[in-house]
Amino acid sequence: MSTWHIPGDLLDGYLAGELDPVRAMSVDAHLGGCPVCRAAVPYEEEWLESSWQRLEDRAGLPRPRPAERLLRLAGLPGHVARLVTVTPALGRAWLAAVLAVLAFGVLAARHTADALPFFLVAAPVLPLAGIAAANGPRVDPVHELLAATPLSGPRLLLVRSAAVLAVAFVLAGLASPLLPAPPGLSAAWLLPALAATSGCLALSTRLSVPVAALTTGGLWLTGIAVAAEAGGDWRVPFQPGAQLLYGCAAALLTVLVHRRRGRLDPGEPR
Amino acid sequence: MSITVKGLVKHYGRNRVLDGLDLAVTPGVTGLLGPNGAGKTTLLRCLATTLAPDSGTVDILGLDPRDRLQRTALRRRLGYLPQDPGHYPHFTAFDLVDYVAILKEITDRRERHGEVRRVLAEVGLSDQAKVRARKLSGGMRQRLALAQALLGEPDVLILDEPTVGLDPEQRMRFRALVSKVGESRTVLLSTHQTEDVAALCERVVTVDGGRVVFDGTPGELAVTAAGRVWLSERPPAGPHLFWRTADGRYRTLGDRPEDGVPAEAGVEDGYLLLLGDRGRAAVA
Repeated sequence: MSTWHIPGDLLDGYLAGELDPVRAMSVDAHLGGCPVCRAAVPYEEEWLESSWQRLEDRAGLPRPRPAERLLRLAGLPGHVARLVTVTPALGRAWLAAVLAVLAFGVLAARHTADALPFFLVAAPVLPLAGIAAANGPRVDPVHELLAATPLSGPRLLLVRSAAVLAVAFVLAGLASPLLPAPPGLSAAWLLPALAATSGCLALSTRLSVPVAALTTGGLWLTGIAVAAEAGGDWRVPFQPGAQLLYGCAAALLTVLVHRRRGRLDPGEPR
Repeated sequence: MSITVKGLVKHYGRNRVLDGLDLAVTPGVTGLLGPNGAGKTTLLRCLATTLAPDSGTVDILGLDPRDRLQRTALRRRLGYLPQDPGHYPHFTAFDLVDYVAILKEITDRRERHGEVRRVLAEVGLSDQAKVRARKLSGGMRQRLALAQALLGEPDVLILDEPTVGLDPEQRMRFRALVSKVGESRTVLLSTHQTEDVAALCERVVTVDGGRVVFDGTPGELAVTAAGRVWLSERPPAGPHLFWRTADGRYRTLGDRPEDGVPAEAGVEDGYLLLLGDRGRAAVA
């Protein structure tokens, strides 16, 4: 330890903030190694504690993922942004699968007009696959642990489903203009996707989420095949009359989900 | 009472796992003992509100988990460590506990981070906060799962086999932590370790076949075996419940073997005798 200590006038200047930078740094350095002089520097304990706390908060902060930062920039509260981006289905595997399906749909449609239905039929199934991969004990490794928290059940399921739906919609929306079809037709997957998602959530009040997703997807594909066969044209299930039906179905099913949301909780008596 | 259970029934298919189970748990540490398939985990899942029973009633802290609003209110006051807590491999220890803290509605970032640091320190994982879950040892992951259960200082802590994967030192530390929590709150833990029960629990409840078959103190469970524990030089003849001890003698439960001398009964003896044939299977 140093036997030299800061003279009173120098310390007064330091405390008053009147020293030039070089001398102030020199005093700083001495204070760092001399407990005697440090004891002579008054400080506010509460301020120091809160400063340390802030420093610790900064230093120990987990670095948010890019998607989380993006959502925060968009104005979403930090904890909601984290909830959304941690959705299990939003991993690379699902995103890659969505991109692959959409790319295939677009390329095939551009190559041959007969392939256009593939895109329109596949797009509503993508969010279903995402919802199935985002919820339930088989896909979420900490499902049981999370199920006992206040935000589990319908709230978590709906946040995750919304996250999956938003990502699928954005990607499919970006791919739609690339289709060799009039704008009305290339966006004809939108309402069916909404209806299928609402249907899946409505069925989840009775069945497990993956089974509900599988059932809804199956019903969609069967319905499309039947309608196209009956109408004699693959465009029939995507025409304005059918779109009105999908819109009404989506609205009704959303109301149903809201009314029966309690049943989306694993702790709800059946 | 912190927890009152009446006539709880739960089926998995045709298998009646809980068979009209009654239970009352007071503040302090209560141990739940029972063989595999006895219904311990199902009971704890019903209490932790992650599983709805087929019939019967549960009352925890005056709240009824059948009611949606009361269930949510209960979850705010509950800490739960499931038998298989799982983890997100790409999450750090801090990330995982932070995520659960969000789901426990601790939304203020500063408050949440302070709480995450506190519980990680409680389980001795402060130094591992930035380590990814997949790189933690099994014991560390178990402590991490325990950390999340401690978030928000819950009034009721439900722990399903919490000492699995812990080494002796960690187990001692765990006992100290749980007994501290149990001073002011209710802890219900299931275990296969009768030593944990003897060292930690004020009460022990033994479950078998979906029903409570014993409810009392660890001392009372040990007393049920008094006069039925023997040490002998040779293995007993006949269908006895016995095993060879570290000093080469045979510890027999039940009727006195030919050269048997009386031995002091412990919690494990009482537990094995209580289970009868199932206890015999456990020893075998």
